[in-house]
Amino acid sequence: MFDKIFPPKQVVLPNGKTVSEKRSRTPLIFVTVLIAVYLSIRFTNFEFSLLAKRGHEFFAIINEMIPPKWEYLPHLWQPLLDTIMMSILGSVLGSLVAVPIAYLAASNIVKNKVIVMVARIFLSILRTMPTLVSALIATFIFGLGTLAGTIAIFLFTLAYVGKLLYEQIENASMGAFEAMESIGITRIQAFRYAIFPQVLPNYLSTSLFCFEGNVRYAAILGYVGAGGIGLLLDEGLGWRDYASVGMILLMLAITVFLIETVSEYFRKKLI
Amino acid sequence: MVFSFFTRKAIDMIEFTNVDKVYPNKVKALENINLKIEKGEFVAVIGLSGAGKSTLIRCINRMHDITSGSLVVDGTNVGKLKGKEIRNFRKKIGMIFQSFNLITRTTVIKNVLVSFVPQLSFWRKMTGIFSKEHKLQALTALDQVGILEKAYIRVDQLSGGQQQRVALARTLAQNPTILLADEPIASLDPVTSKQVMDDFKRINQEMDMTVLLNIHHVEVALEYADRIIGVREGQIVYDGSANEVTDEVLDYIYKGKIGEVKQEMYKEGAYV
Amino acid sequence: MNAIEKQLYAKPSKNSYIYVISAVLLGLMIWSLFVIDFGSMEESGWAIAKNILLGIVTPDLDFLLDFTTQGVMYLLVETIAIAFLGTILGAMLAIPFAFLSASNVVPKPVAFITRLLLIFIRTVPSLVYGLMFVRVAGQGPFTGVLTIALISIGMLAKLFVDAIEDLDTSIFESMTSIGCTTFEKIRFGIVPQLIAIFLSIGIYRFDMNLREASILGLVGAGGIGAPLIFAMNAYRWNEVGSILIGLVILILIVELWSNYMRNKLVRG
Ligand SMILES: Nc1ncnc2c1ncn2[C@@H]1O[C@H](COP(=O)(O)OP(=O)(O)O)[C@@H](O)[C@H]1O
Ligand SMILES: [Mg+2]
Repeated sequence: MFDKIFPPKQVVLPNGKTVSEKRSRTPLIFVTVLIAVYLSIRFTNFEFSLLAKRGHEFFAIINEMIPPKWEYLPHLWQPLLDTIMMSILGSVLGSLVAVPIAYLAASNIVKNKVIVMVARIFLSILRTMPTLVSALIATFIFGLGTLAGTIAIFLFTLAYVGKLLYEQIENASMGAFEAMESIGITRIQAFRYAIFPQVLPNYLSTSLFCFEGNVRYAAILGYVGAGGIGLLLDEGLGWRDYASVGMILLMLAITVFLIETVSEYFRKKLI
Repeated sequence: MVFSFFTRKAIDMIEFTNVDKVYPNKVKALENINLKIEKGEFVAVIGLSGAGKSTLIRCINRMHDITSGSLVVDGTNVGKLKGKEIRNFRKKIGMIFQSFNLITRTTVIKNVLVSFVPQLSFWRKMTGIFSKEHKLQALTALDQVGILEKAYIRVDQLSGGQQQRVALARTLAQNPTILLADEPIASLDPVTSKQVMDDFKRINQEMDMTVLLNIHHVEVALEYADRIIGVREGQIVYDGSANEVTDEVLDYIYKGKIGEVKQEMYKEGAYV
Repeated sequence: MNAIEKQLYAKPSKNSYIYVISAVLLGLMIWSLFVIDFGSMEESGWAIAKNILLGIVTPDLDFLLDFTTQGVMYLLVETIAIAFLGTILGAMLAIPFAFLSASNVVPKPVAFITRLLLIFIRTVPSLVYGLMFVRVAGQGPFTGVLTIALISIGMLAKLFVDAIEDLDTSIFESMTSIGCTTFEKIRFGIVPQLIAIFLSIGIYRFDMNLREASILGLVGAGGIGAPLIFAMNAYRWNEVGSILIGLVILILIVELWSNYMRNKLVRG
């Protein structure tokens, strides 16, 4: 495409030989990026003067967060527990449901191209839906509360683990699977005994990794009313009670750190 | 100069006089080196690993400083150079390394153009835009080593032998008077080793360039070089024509380990 | 038969860990069933679910293809602009942080503190920054840009440091022998190596930032998020359908483009 618009230049050496020099893409990329920056500045009303004038406000807010309000801690346990539980339930269910979907999306197991395509498109679309948007929709269907958040996390986990799992299934070695099939064991049974053991460690590790990320996402779902600590964050910021917000963020950081450390330990052992 | 042309009087390119080299950690790498290399010679330095071959070569372009004695290269007293003078002096001397030392994520020609970097004007240095003459010189250098058609391909798509030729082209583009090479074929397979050695030989003959290389493979050294220098524990223990190297000589250079050296090379399959 | 027996009796060496993890997860899951509040499902839920699905199947096409400032197309472009400018700003800010957190560049305590700070910056959810910046710069896309820039710094700085530590410095030896100065070595030996990697890191982060930017609108930080909430609160499901379709298509296209470009940059 590029070579058609800017055809390669013929360079003639002093000894008469010629080479065709492909035009450099750097100038084009450079100009495109510059134009894109200019347009983006226009589109977003980017104003350095505003930042220079009011930027200190941001640090003023941070300043108010420190020290955090320790008395607020007792109010935090329940929402924090809700957040963690939403993540766990959503992640476990999502990972479990991901198995049959990944099975359907694996082209080396399911020979029907239509089923494979549908399963993959389903996973792709689900994966592009931001968790917060699914949570928002879920609150309309399931009402405000932790259930909506759990559903949103469930859907994201399903999509994320499902995609990685079907890729792992397609890379698994097929020898035993084919041998079993040839003597009349059903496909699902053959999958269960020949393929699943191969992908199991990776599958668990992917699920754990997804769970780590989900704890962070779950923390904000309360903003749209989907339960957990996000509701308190929204309230705290709304009332400009920044010391409480500082406390929430501190607890959140500790929780995320602990969960990541434990989960990372197990992930390393698995692979 | 005209006179020397008619009489074919030899011009000294490199002259070591009583050179010692002691590393800061007190390792005496070179001891009382006396050596004269003339223009257009093809010289191979052989010896055990740790004998001081790399040190010998790297003193010539001041990659290492000598501790005592005098070293004159192409009329320049190398030991007396300072700062900018060293960099200017190095421009005249090409050097090839075992690891090809290329930027693999970019094109072949950009790697060759690196040899013109020291002579660029300020704005060219900032923008990285090279002049047409430089590009033509780079392409000509690539043509000399037979990989002209690879000029606009990324280096990581070339084989090891082709990559060493890119390094060779980069050195040729410098238009050096001397070509130094530190184990140039040590990470190549036998077939590509031969191609690269042929390139060295051709450059030596067609351009009358002085070539001095370190080499791990005795057979290759004997086959290609006119003159062999045997280094043992920092001292020159043999200096003479390649035809006159006997098994006893090799035995002495390699401290009686010549069998092992050959054995090892046989295992690697690294012979030409 | 041999292969089957081998598979049947094959004991994965990680068995004990798998059992432990499974048992722990099962326990936590059962516990979580008591914590999650299942009673909130309303009767009208199914009706709404049906309406949402209907809305997605019959989107408001005029609204979807509308390029005026109220239309989906404009809002998507605005979202891209927020993500793009935020990524560029974040990348510029990440470079000093990358050097400050590289332990071979600055003293160990400085590097340690910078890393700790970066981890903390990363833990705070993006919406929180969004809400904080709304207090600073008011509602609008500018706030979105600031938020995206801030949340990108941590990851970008870390990846930049990794790239710098992975650099191939063997080229230095050759450049010394050619007679190059330190500046020339950096300009022609290091910069060309880093450009490709930094670009691919930037594109990767842009892809992530687009997703972030699409939800930042929920706190009034510009982009497609705010109209989505308004449309939902007003039960205008066809508009919701248009927005969701536009968003999903955009994110899918950018993801494909990003994978393609990164492959090209890394493999050439
Ligand atoms: N930069 C250095 N600092 C200290 N000692 C060195 C250095 N380079 C080489 N040496 C020592 O000098 C001796 C000769 O090394 P070298 O010239 O690399 O040998 P060769 O190239 O023949 O294998 C060895 O004993 C080696 O350990
Ligand atoms: Mg050596």
